[in-house]
Amino acid sequence: MSGARSGTGFSSFLPLFGPFILLWALFWLVPLFYGVELSLSGSTGATLSTSPSIQENSIYLGNYQTALSDVKFLKSIENTTLFVLGSISLSLILGFCLAVVIFKLNRILQALCLFVLLIPSLALPGTLAKLFYLFFHGKSGALNQFIVLPLGFDPINWMMNPDWILPCLIFQSVWRWVGLVTLLLYCGMRAIPRWQFETARLEGASGGQIIQSILLPGVRHLLWFAAVFLLVDGVAAFSGAYNLLGGSGGVLDAGLLFVTYAYQVAFPGGSGRFDLPLASAMSVMVAVGAASIAFLMIRINAKKRVVV
Amino acid sequence: MIRFLSRCFLTLVLILTAYPFVWMLLASFKSNQQIYKPDQLIPTSFDPFAFEILFSNDLFLFNEVLARSILLSGGQALFACLVTAAAGYAIAKGNFRGRKLIFGAAILLILFPKQAMSLFLFEWISVLGLTGDVYGFLLSGVASGLGVVFFTQVFRKVPTELVDLSLLEGQSHTGCFLSLLPLMMPALITYGMIHFVLSWQEHLLPLLVLGNDQLTLPLALAKLSDSSYRVPEAVGLAAGVLAMVPMLFLFGFFFRRIRTALSDWVVS
Repeated sequence: MSGARSGTGFSSFLPLFGPFILLWALFWLVPLFYGVELSLSGSTGATLSTSPSIQENSIYLGNYQTALSDVKFLKSIENTTLFVLGSISLSLILGFCLAVVIFKLNRILQALCLFVLLIPSLALPGTLAKLFYLFFHGKSGALNQFIVLPLGFDPINWMMNPDWILPCLIFQSVWRWVGLVTLLLYCGMRAIPRWQFETARLEGASGGQIIQSILLPGVRHLLWFAAVFLLVDGVAAFSGAYNLLGGSGGVLDAGLLFVTYAYQVAFPGGSGRFDLPLASAMSVMVAVGAASIAFLMIRINAKKRVVV
Repeated sequence: MIRFLSRCFLTLVLILTAYPFVWMLLASFKSNQQIYKPDQLIPTSFDPFAFEILFSNDLFLFNEVLARSILLSGGQALFACLVTAAAGYAIAKGNFRGRKLIFGAAILLILFPKQAMSLFLFEWISVLGLTGDVYGFLLSGVASGLGVVFFTQVFRKVPTELVDLSLLEGQSHTGCFLSLLPLMMPALITYGMIHFVLSWQEHLLPLLVLGNDQLTLPLALAKLSDSSYRVPEAVGLAAGVLAMVPMLFLFGFFFRRIRTALSDWVVS
């Protein structure tokens, strides 16, 4: 610490980081604690008979037990996991391929392609859902018309067939995010020093070798970053599914994502139960679980970077 | 050959991404009957009835919805830029104890899915008595972890000599930060855009916190999809078109700067 220099201390920086910390505490830390506390309180719906004295003296874990034995909750977690894995892997693979192809184009075409790819991420998820419903989906929709029928299959009733609801949601998510992933990876590729490509050319490396030994390692940390971002966003996916399925889980709850279900549990309407403590317990588990996985991913990435 | 195939692949993906939006624009002039035939692109007539329905305010005050969305997202983006850039400056240029903790706080903010936390935030906001308060809602979306991480890396690249110089001239760190802001414009615009888009698309929290007469665009859109409203499909598509126009305009205008700032950021 260079204490000699004037104004390097805590107090001189307080006005700068103070507002952030204040807002962070007020709208993140306190709500989190409040939510945890809520999740430990007696259920308002199912167990009204639980006497308040028990809740005060011992930690009440009933909500967590209820959640873990709730078939629909487990189903929603399973769906969300598949949804997240599907959209992360497809977005990253497709985004990387697109970035490689775009990287080789000339400047003007590069800008144009990247901008066009970004368009879906600027649209509201609700708009994407509506477009998906009206344009891609349906017996005479684009998916059936151009992909399923030409391949000689029967038209698929996407939203009514429980096997296909989740792929539909994944399709929406990939459509939405792939442009952003591509832009990020493209920027990463541009940042790779020129001499690496020149050396490779001198050594007569093929296109595939360049991709494998220069482009891929060059953007590896960005792939991890994108994966963390997509994970955190995907776990909390709500708007697209809400618009597409009208707040329900679809046929056989095949498209029931976690946030939709927590919303169903917390608020009345349709199948709502108005059970805030139970919904809080579910949210705590999912939020902490997702955050831990994302943290692990960052850790692994950091270790790899040190080694490389 | 590979080159040709990869170009074909790119073209296919580009068409797949962009074509539905062209279709949407044109479909907002179509009757339901035409909309349910997705292979028809050009409407039989350009009748702006859907836009008239939206602005006739029979369903909801669409002007107000649009204005509210712009106010909320713009306000959140503006304040988020200032607040997180200041915090980023403090982390990058300060050497006081606890700055790692601030960075950690920002990381936590990123790692916890926002919408999984919405329920808690909703409960807490109702404890604070801010339910239905647009400004309270605006404030709740200002602290952004991504912003702090982004600006910390941006400010790390500002030469320390520049900071020392302005300190020698008798400026405080706050003054120094403020005088650096004009230099930071590309980064500020980039982050502002990202935050703007994210809060523009926010659905769950406004649904919980804001009142029924305080719709934002995503809420209005979901209402239009609700079958009980019985509005022609074109109205929903028209609303989607109108929600996209400001975004395309902003991004088109700043796209070069955003790319440059992202490229710079990616290196660090």
